[in-house]
Amino acid sequence: MQEEYKKSILDKLADKIVYGLGSFISLFKKGWKEKNKSKMEEWRLMLYALNRSPPALIGLFLVILFILVGIFGPRLAHWRYNFFPMLYTKSYDKIILAPPGSKFVLDYYNNTVITFPLGSDHYGRDLLSLILSGARTSFVISIIVISLGVPLGILLGLIAGYYGGKVDELIMRITDMFLAFPALILAIALSAVLPERIQNFISTHEAVQKFVLWLFALDVREAGNLGRLLAVILAMIIVWWPAYARITRGSTLTEKEKLYIEAARAIGLPARTIMFKHILPNIIGPILVYITLDFGGVILMEAGLSFLGLGATPPIADWGRIVYDGAQYFPKAWWLVFYPGLVVMLVALGWNLLGDGLRDILDPKTRRSIEFKVKKSKKEGEANA
Amino acid sequence: MPEPILQVRNLTVHFYTYAGIVKAIERVSFDVYRGETFALVGETGCGKSVTSRALTQLIESPGRIVEGEVLYHKEDGTVVDLLKLNEEQIREIRGNEIAYIFQDPHASLDPLYTVGYQIGEAMEVHGKVESIKEGIKKAVDILRSVLIPDPENRVKNYPHELSGGMKQRVVIGIGIANNPKILIADEPTTALDVTVQAQILDLINQLKEKYKATVILITHNLGVVAETADRVAVMYAGKIVEIGSVEQIFKNPLHPYTKGLLKAVPNPMTKIERLEAIPGTVPNLITPPSGCRFHPRCPFATEVCKRKVPELKEMEDGHFVACHLY
Repeated sequence: MQEEYKKSILDKLADKIVYGLGSFISLFKKGWKEKNKSKMEEWRLMLYALNRSPPALIGLFLVILFILVGIFGPRLAHWRYNFFPMLYTKSYDKIILAPPGSKFVLDYYNNTVITFPLGSDHYGRDLLSLILSGARTSFVISIIVISLGVPLGILLGLIAGYYGGKVDELIMRITDMFLAFPALILAIALSAVLPERIQNFISTHEAVQKFVLWLFALDVREAGNLGRLLAVILAMIIVWWPAYARITRGSTLTEKEKLYIEAARAIGLPARTIMFKHILPNIIGPILVYITLDFGGVILMEAGLSFLGLGATPPIADWGRIVYDGAQYFPKAWWLVFYPGLVVMLVALGWNLLGDGLRDILDPKTRRSIEFKVKKSKKEGEANA
Repeated sequence: MPEPILQVRNLTVHFYTYAGIVKAIERVSFDVYRGETFALVGETGCGKSVTSRALTQLIESPGRIVEGEVLYHKEDGTVVDLLKLNEEQIREIRGNEIAYIFQDPHASLDPLYTVGYQIGEAMEVHGKVESIKEGIKKAVDILRSVLIPDPENRVKNYPHELSGGMKQRVVIGIGIANNPKILIADEPTTALDVTVQAQILDLINQLKEKYKATVILITHNLGVVAETADRVAVMYAGKIVEIGSVEQIFKNPLHPYTKGLLKAVPNPMTKIERLEAIPGTVPNLITPPSGCRFHPRCPFATEVCKRKVPELKEMEDGHFVACHLY
C-alpha cells in the first residue's frame, strides 16, 4: 500500500505561506487568488516536496542564515571591523592572538571589558565580530559575481548550442581563450590591471562611491580601497562566465536533439521562445546545482585573491583574508583558521544541499507523486470519518 | 484533374559530416494533391523523414538543402516556394498551414509544461488567440475533438501523466490546433501498441475529413498504407523509385524493390512457408552505388543499371517508376 501522507507542521506552515501570499497579492490585484488557484497549488506542492527532504531543509536553513547574516552581520557585530582594542589596553601584547573565551579590560576605553568568544586575530580584533562583518563582503561579492557572470555564460552557451555552425565556433573559441588561462592566474592579472581605472571612476562619482560603501557596509575611510575590491569582482565575473557557457552549450546540444524541440520548431515557435522557454528550463537543473556549488567557489577564490594582496585589504573584514592571514599562526592560533574556514564550509555546504533539493522540487514528477499521496490520504480521512 | 497542393521538385539534402557528405536524398520529386492522403514508404534510413522535414526547412546543421523547389499552393491560389522563404516567413507556415505529428509521442511533448499550455502556445504563436491563457481554454475543445475523455481535467496534466495513446492524441491536437492545410504525420503509430495504432489512424482520417486537410503519411508499415493512403511513393536510399495509387502499387508493383517489399509482408490470404527478405542492406549514402542505387540488391540488374541513373517514367495513368526494366 502507498505510504500515507501526513501533513507535518512545516506543511501546514507551507499552506499558510502560500495562502497568505495569495491573499497578499489579491490586495493589489483583485481576484488574483481565484484566478491562480492552480499556480498556488503548484507552489504548495513545491514546498511540500522541500519539506520531505531533510538535506534540502538544512541547506535552506544555512543559506537563509547566510543571507540574513550577510545583510545584518555588520550591525550584529559587537565591534566594528576597524576597532582595534590593542590601542586601548595596557596588555596590548597579550590581546593579540588571544584564545577563545579570553577577557581583557580596555583601560583607556572607560574600562570596558572585551570578551573574545572565538578568540582574536593578529591585530587583536574580535574574531566573531570580524566573521559577522565579513559575511557582508562574501555575500555581496558572491551575489554580484554569480548574478552577472552566470547569466552571461548561459546566454552565450544557449546561443552557441542552439544555432551551431559559425556562431558556435566564434563563441566557443572566445570561451576557450578564457578557459585556456587558469582562472586564478587570469583573475590575478585582471585584478592587478583594473583597480586604478575603477578607483579613478569611483573617486569622480560620489554617488557610486557612497552606494558601494553602503553595499559593503564600510567606513568612508576605506574609499581608497574600493577600486581593488571592485576590480576583484570584475575579474571574477570575467573568469566565471566561460565555464557556464561550456556547460550550457553542452546541455543545449543534447537537449535540442530531442524531439520536442524539433516539434517546437515545427509549430513555428521563434528561436528565442524555444531557447528560453523550452531548452533553458529543461537544462537548468544541473546548472542550478553548479551555481550553488559556485557560491562556495566564489568565496574561496575571493579569499585566494585577497591572500595574494588583491581585493579586500585589511582592515576590511573578509573570511578568506582571515584564513590566509591566520595560516601563518597555525596551529598555535588555530581559531583563526578554524572558525572562518568552518563558516565558509557551512555556507558552501548549505548552497550545495539546497541546490540538490531544488533539482527534485523543480521536477514536476516529484510534485505529482506528492499530490497523489495528499489526495489519497484526504480521501481516506473522509472515508474514515 | 486533381489539384496539386504541394509540388516537390528535385529536392536534394546533404549532410556534411566528418565522415563525408551523406547524400540523404537526391533529386526527389513528387506531387501531393489537395485533400488526399499521400504515403511515403521505405525502410529505415531511406530518407522519408528527411524529405518531410525538408519541406518546411526543418533541416538542421550539418544538413543542408542543396537544391530543389517545394511549391506550395495556398488556399487563395498563390504559389510560394517554401525553400525560398526566410526564417520569419517559413515560421508562419510551420504549424499554421503545414503541421507535423512526430513519431514518438513520449518525446515530442515538453515534459515541463501542461498539455493545455503546449496547445495554447501553438495557437498563440500564430495569433489565433490573444494569450496562451486563452489558448488553454480553447485547448479543451481541441482535446475533445481528438477524443480525449474528460478534457477539462486533462488540460492541466503534464505529459508524463498520460499514456502513450493519449500523448499521441495531444500531439495530433497540437498539429490541428491551427487548422492546417497539410498534416505531415511521421510514423505516427510506430511507438504505440497495436490496439492503439488503429484508433490513432482512424482519428487522423476523421480529422482529415473534418478539417478538409491533406495528409502526408510517412511510414514503413505497408499495412497502414493499404488502409489509409490514396497514393503512395516508395523511397529507396534517398530516391523515389515508384509512385502510384494504392491500387496500382499493391496490385501491380513495377519496381523490383517494391515487389520485394510487398513479398516481405505476411498476407493472411495466402499460405506461404516463409517470408522473402530482400538480400543485402541499405547502402551507405556517403558513397551510394553508381547508376540505380538498388542494383547491388536487385535480382534483375543489368550492365546499364550500374552506369545510368534511371528517371521516373509514367507507365500507366499516374503510375511512375524509376527502373531500366521498363
